[in-house]
Amino acid sequence: MNVLGFVLAIISSLLIPGIITITKAKMSGKKGPGVFQPLFDIARLIRKGNVYSTTTSVIFQIGPIIYFASVVVALLFVPFGQYKGLLSFDADFVFFAYLLGIGKFMMIISAMDTGSGFEGMGANREALYSMLVEPIFFILMGSLALLTHYSSFYDLFVHIHYDSYLTYLIAALGVYLLLQIAMVENSRLPIDDPKTHLELTMIHEVMVLDNSGFDMGLINLATGLKFALYGGLIANFIFPVEWSLYAQIVVFIMVNLLFAVAVGLMESFRARNKLAKNPKWILMLSSISLIVFLCVIEITQKLL
Amino acid sequence: MYLIIFQILLAFTICVFFVSKRHMSNLVLLIQLGLAGITGYWSIDVLTHGTVFERELLINFWGSPLEIKVDSLSAFFILVLNFTLLTGSIYSKGYLKPYINEKNHAEFGLHYFSLAWLHISMLLVCMLRDGLAFLVVWEMMSVFSFLLVIFESEKKETVKAGINFLLQMHIGFVFIMAGFIFAFLQTGAAFSFDGLSVYFEEHPSLPLFLLFFVGFGIKAGFIPFHTWLPHAHPAAPSHISGIMSGVIIKMGIYGILRVLTYIHTDLLDIGIFILVVSVVTGLLGVMYAIVQHDLKKLLAYSSIENIGIIGIGIGIGLIGVAKDLPILAVLGFAGGILHVLNHSLFKSLLFYSAGSVYMRTHTRHLEHLGGLIKKMPKTAFLFLLGALAICGLPPFNGFISEFLIYSGLFKGLQTPSLQTNFIILGTAIGLTLIGGLALFCFTRVFSIVFLGTPRSEAPEKAKDDDGSMILPKILAGIMIVAIGIYPVFFVKMVGNVVGLYVRDISLIMQDTSYMSKISCSSLVFILLIAILWLIRRAQQKRVRIEHGPTWGCAYSGANPAVHQYTATSFANNYRELAPPFIIRANKHFESLKEEEIFPRPRSFKTKTGDMIEENMVEKPIRKIIKWMEKAAIFQTGNLQHYIMYAFMFMGLIFWLTIFNII
Amino acid sequence: MAFTLIILLELTLLYLAFTERVKRFIFILMVQGLLLFGIAYLHLKQVNTLEFTFIVTETILIKGLLVPIFLNRLRKKNNLERLAHSKLPSFVSILAISAAIAFGFLLSEKIHDNDLQSKFFSASIAAIITGIYFVIIHRNIFTHVIGYLIIQNGVFLLSLAVGNEFPLIVNTAILLDIFVGVLVLGIFVNRVGERFEEMHIDELAQLKD
Repeated sequence: MNVLGFVLAIISSLLIPGIITITKAKMSGKKGPGVFQPLFDIARLIRKGNVYSTTTSVIFQIGPIIYFASVVVALLFVPFGQYKGLLSFDADFVFFAYLLGIGKFMMIISAMDTGSGFEGMGANREALYSMLVEPIFFILMGSLALLTHYSSFYDLFVHIHYDSYLTYLIAALGVYLLLQIAMVENSRLPIDDPKTHLELTMIHEVMVLDNSGFDMGLINLATGLKFALYGGLIANFIFPVEWSLYAQIVVFIMVNLLFAVAVGLMESFRARNKLAKNPKWILMLSSISLIVFLCVIEITQKLL
Repeated sequence: MYLIIFQILLAFTICVFFVSKRHMSNLVLLIQLGLAGITGYWSIDVLTHGTVFERELLINFWGSPLEIKVDSLSAFFILVLNFTLLTGSIYSKGYLKPYINEKNHAEFGLHYFSLAWLHISMLLVCMLRDGLAFLVVWEMMSVFSFLLVIFESEKKETVKAGINFLLQMHIGFVFIMAGFIFAFLQTGAAFSFDGLSVYFEEHPSLPLFLLFFVGFGIKAGFIPFHTWLPHAHPAAPSHISGIMSGVIIKMGIYGILRVLTYIHTDLLDIGIFILVVSVVTGLLGVMYAIVQHDLKKLLAYSSIENIGIIGIGIGIGLIGVAKDLPILAVLGFAGGILHVLNHSLFKSLLFYSAGSVYMRTHTRHLEHLGGLIKKMPKTAFLFLLGALAICGLPPFNGFISEFLIYSGLFKGLQTPSLQTNFIILGTAIGLTLIGGLALFCFTRVFSIVFLGTPRSEAPEKAKDDDGSMILPKILAGIMIVAIGIYPVFFVKMVGNVVGLYVRDISLIMQDTSYMSKISCSSLVFILLIAILWLIRRAQQKRVRIEHGPTWGCAYSGANPAVHQYTATSFANNYRELAPPFIIRANKHFESLKEEEIFPRPRSFKTKTGDMIEENMVEKPIRKIIKWMEKAAIFQTGNLQHYIMYAFMFMGLIFWLTIFNII
Repeated sequence: MAFTLIILLELTLLYLAFTERVKRFIFILMVQGLLLFGIAYLHLKQVNTLEFTFIVTETILIKGLLVPIFLNRLRKKNNLERLAHSKLPSFVSILAISAAIAFGFLLSEKIHDNDLQSKFFSASIAAIITGIYFVIIHRNIFTHVIGYLIIQNGVFLLSLAVGNEFPLIVNTAILLDIFVGVLVLGIFVNRVGERFEEMHIDELAQLKD
């Protein structure tokens, strides 16, 4: 049964990028590609050969592989309703966060490996933003740990009881924060515009300028998987565990689809931040998570 | 029986002076292996059986017999320092080979003699409890490490850094001695560590603890006592830097932990104090590390950061004991103490790799390096291993100790005390920021030094290491991976040490199922990487692989080194965010004047200074010197004036005696 | 439910630190007016018609609609600057306001008084500190008035914190403060704005008789 969650997450990861593209296209009044177009692109990339820069070394070849592997193993931690993830233990969200960290480390150094100024720019920014995003996730998980008195992913989500307005507010803020963390980690608007062609303003896109073929396919797959990762976490916030299994599956898929549509809408109607304002924007998310923590303290104090 | 062998080895070290330069390292290595073997045997015995090992070392030492006593804390530190000192000695053989022709026999002999005696004095520090003997060996340790640091004494900065180091060590020594004397005067109990327990039972613990904390903290490198570290590490030869960062600063931690075994009151205040100092140390250490240009100075600041992490573990553990939260206490202490071992492993690995880089390229300046992975692949790979471990990334050992601390923090949230929850929140934020900044720092170092294209001619001539210089790094690397993938054994070993502080560790130590799950997850991760690599290899056999220059957006003709990122630019967006009272960059350049139609060539220099050192050390010293210079009018250089001063002094004494004042 | 609204109020304070456009400041004042109506309504135990109309007038009408609309018209008519320049970067402001919110929370937990309702107290401290910080940081007198109005909101919450019923005097005083503040600003901007281009207090501080 645990495998079911994992399989559903993989399926949604294949669909999410397509849905985002279609939403953005429809909002701009265009017809848009098919839902499976990103998949066809990835399949084509995986079949192609590679061009490696002479400046690069082994690091460049192994970076995308470690990145992809880290995202897949992180996906194994996401619980599905009343079923644990395939890997689950106390304080496993720490392992989850640092596993994504090793993926980022390898991407940053494989970008610097090319010796190009563009990729250095992207690597530099990516390192700074991922540093700023870490506390948000930990404070959020800490608040949930304080609320439910457990510490593993599965236990945290299973034991949230929606019994007061305040818990709903905490869940709403938690969903919002996870949504924004997903935008930052995948380098979408408002941090970074995936459609921009100006290297001076890119972050993630410019880090993978020199990747090609199989490596590029892996990186694109990993992007979809990361979306599914956060979609799965958001879904756990939303569906209550008392429902039947089929209802839970339907809710899970609906949440992921809505997540993709929401991302598409946010991307269509927002401008990207000025690059110098990005740290401030991410810090704002930290402050919101601090408020979530204060809310939880209020709840636990009242229960005393 | 082993004790006699121990004493014989001590005496044998004098033979170092009588061997030829090429064989000195082998002799010292042999002696160290003997010492490590004996003490290691004692330590493992203590750790596995939980007993305490006591023997008499000298029959008569100032009246009473001198005992060595090895309990689990000493045993752990002995094992840690044996490993790093052995790897250091193995590394020194290859590292000092270019110096054989430059230095004479006495200098080499002194260096290796000091190395052997450093090992011995550190072992004795861990084993002696008597106050006077402890102070003697502590002083010996400082003096011998000073002699080791100033190996390249022909350079003025080396000697200056070494003397700075020695002075600060002495200041710490004075504080420790003051602590012992104070306790002795107040209670009249034995002048030893055990005498402290009598003091701590009757009097408030905090003031005396602070005295010891300052003394040991100067050795450990807590902020604001850290100012000697960033100067001593670049000045010392690399095997000594590795040993210093790996174990010498841990002796400060040993001292603090030893004093803490006797304290049972005031634990909350002490815990919060250590926690606050450690969070500040960790954050400031890594914040300064990011903006450095000297490879070894950067690693020195990173050591300060890791001492902060160890302190966080200890502080959290104490708070757990004070608030009666056994989970917090056990996991906090376990994380902090395990980090002592982990840090010695990966920091020594990083310093040895940096030493190899310096030896082959003759420069430590980051802006002159680059592209070394092509010339020194083994060193680069091992440096990457160390960098991944120091950032606390799975599946390596740094993650395990940080995970223990995080685990303790989040499980400690399950109690309703408001103060504890806020402390835990603050610590968690601090620890995450430290981790994120460390990732920034080490991606910068690794990519600037080893990746890209060389930024000057120095890296072009580099060759890779071989033989004896690779071996210690590989040993450290094996331990790093072992602790990362199979942590249960090491955590259980640390558990014995934690038992000195927390009464009941049995419940928590039994529930180590999550350790095996971490191992399982790490293995799944590595397996997946291997599978993907094989799939790609199979796919690439059938398609065409091309090689070409990096895409340069039509700038491909220019020298590729010109427009790749420099170390300063990588740290730039961080530096703009950092508070200006912590990091201030002084930019030196000439701005364009209005009448300059064709600008002349210009240069640009940024210098970032250590604000704390600037304000706590440099400015007071300048003021004191200014006042002292006023007294310089008496130094005329004329001998007759000096005789006149002596005559005036005699007259003064005469008149004071006449008037019965003295 | 009241606490939920208080948390939303604290979120608006954070947004105040984050944003740099003057239009947003006015929007926040509007939102805060509405939130204060909700908080006051939910909190007051007995509500008779007179007090109810008073609350509605004060919060929704005056704080939520009249004052923001007036300020907005003032801003547009005089073509005031779109961005508010502050002496410290927004990054630091966000940290400061978060610290203020945490401080308010901790303070209210430390003070255990029977007459004090801790939830409102923490938010009011946070709002007052935010308002004062705002006045210190920004250079434009227009934004100074906005900071002043935030302080008034904080004082309103404080009045709710210390009592169970609706103190008529305190709220009349608050209304008077708001009225006078906005009136003075209006006169100042309209009249002085015709003579001088600048609204920066550095320039204005050099004004002599």
